[in-house]
Amino acid sequence: MTPARGLAQQAHPFTLFAITGAVALLAFILPPPGGPVALYAAVVVLALAAGVGRAAARALLVCLPLWILLFLLLAVFGTGPRSDLGVITVSRSGLDAALAQGARLGAVATASLALFASFDPSRFLDAVAARGWSFHAAYLLVATLQAAPRFRQRAAMILEAQRARGLRFGGNPVRRLRGLAPLTTPLVLGMLSEVDDRAMALETRGLDARVARTPLEPPADRIADRLIRRGLPLLVVAALAWRLFG
Amino acid sequence: MTALRLDGVTLRYGDSDTAPALADVSLAIDAGRITWLFGSLGAGCSSLLLVSAGLAPRHTGGTCAGAVRALGADPHDAAGRQALAGKIGYVTPTPGVQLSGVAATVSEEVAFAPANLGWPIERIREAVPDALARLGIGHLSGRNPAALSGGELQRVVIAAMLVLAPGLWLLDEPASALDRAGRSTLAGVLRAEADRGAAVVIASEDAAAMAAVADRLIVLDQGRVALDGAPRDLLADDVLWRHAAGSTPIANLARSAAALCDVVPRSLAPPYPLTVDEGVARWS
Repeated sequence: MTPARGLAQQAHPFTLFAITGAVALLAFILPPPGGPVALYAAVVVLALAAGVGRAAARALLVCLPLWILLFLLLAVFGTGPRSDLGVITVSRSGLDAALAQGARLGAVATASLALFASFDPSRFLDAVAARGWSFHAAYLLVATLQAAPRFRQRAAMILEAQRARGLRFGGNPVRRLRGLAPLTTPLVLGMLSEVDDRAMALETRGLDARVARTPLEPPADRIADRLIRRGLPLLVVAALAWRLFG
Repeated sequence: MTALRLDGVTLRYGDSDTAPALADVSLAIDAGRITWLFGSLGAGCSSLLLVSAGLAPRHTGGTCAGAVRALGADPHDAAGRQALAGKIGYVTPTPGVQLSGVAATVSEEVAFAPANLGWPIERIREAVPDALARLGIGHLSGRNPAALSGGELQRVVIAAMLVLAPGLWLLDEPASALDRAGRSTLAGVLRAEADRGAAVVIASEDAAAMAAVADRLIVLDQGRVALDGAPRDLLADDVLWRHAAGSTPIANLARSAAALCDVVPRSLAPPYPLTVDEGVARWS
């Protein structure tokens, strides 16, 4: 995982988590369809400004098929009063629902991928250590986040190794399915074995020590970071109150 | 002074029907010396290191009988493990799995254990460059550990233990990915560690390299201590072949040549030469 450069990387790691969490909550609290659409637009602008525009583009690619599906299911095949879009007519309430769901999806996906792109494990762990929080739990979180790229890397290695041994993955679906076994078996067994080895190895490196870990280079917690982290929960509560009682 | 003592240790990875990986092993390892564990595949060298570090059978499964004392503590109970945290330098044969996986640079990787042990930051900042320099990898300090070669990685993992200045070293094939220069550097570091007063235990198949480094050789055979003595004496004697796959390449050559002779000439009889220089001196 290569950390992105820019505002997102300079921000305190907890601030990034706070923003992602707040986006996820606001996406469902703000009134549809305008609220989620505005939120999605804001998240994209924020991602571009913070130097993680590629994450926004990746989220767009992830969401695009789902947006099409939502549009077809809710707007095109939806019931109720219809609007004429020129080529087709769509259900007005269905279109609103598709817009709201699609924007929610886009906002959450963009925020999550931006967090993933700007996440620096060592900065995060230093931030946790600086707070005196459980390093074990934080390490578990980081290891989980890093499992995906490691899994992908190992899969690529096994694929190459099996190809070198003459395994072909082309052909009809049955043949492709049969080709998966030599790929997945060593992949899964290897990962399971590595978990044991790694647990053993980390114990030798003091991970189980019952002392507070020393932060090596604790990230700066600037006033802006603190304001964002304190302001976002208030914003979420205010939005909730507005929806419930406004 | 005894740094590691095993009394009647029997380790099984499976149930009681399976053959023991270690069978009634009793031995004492002294501080200030380099002890070499040698044996054929499955002889029990790696298992002995794992039991001594308190990692087997807890992480590997199986059962263990007998007593282990490392640096005065029992690595198999929780209190002993806490007392021993940072005092045992265990190095796995596969350096990749010993990386923290969260360090962005080699310096951070080497600082991982001291930070976990709560060392003051000033002490960490002083110790890390020193450990890297001693293994000749100071120039790698800013590199990403995930992008290193196998040999570089092995040195980083050893540096990650060296930084702790452990009282007991347990190294499993620590030079498997190192080149000649790397092996020489490592030998120098381990000798210096022994001179500092640490007990150094190395499981290695590299008889030629270990013959020049080790003070004591323990040969394991099917989980039992088969031979125990001075490396030069055991490596040059026929008795070694009864319990291990072989000796140094020159000794193996001499013995193979002797086997071809109806009457073994004196120059091919034990004690076998162990190095090229000794072979040249004997046969020229």
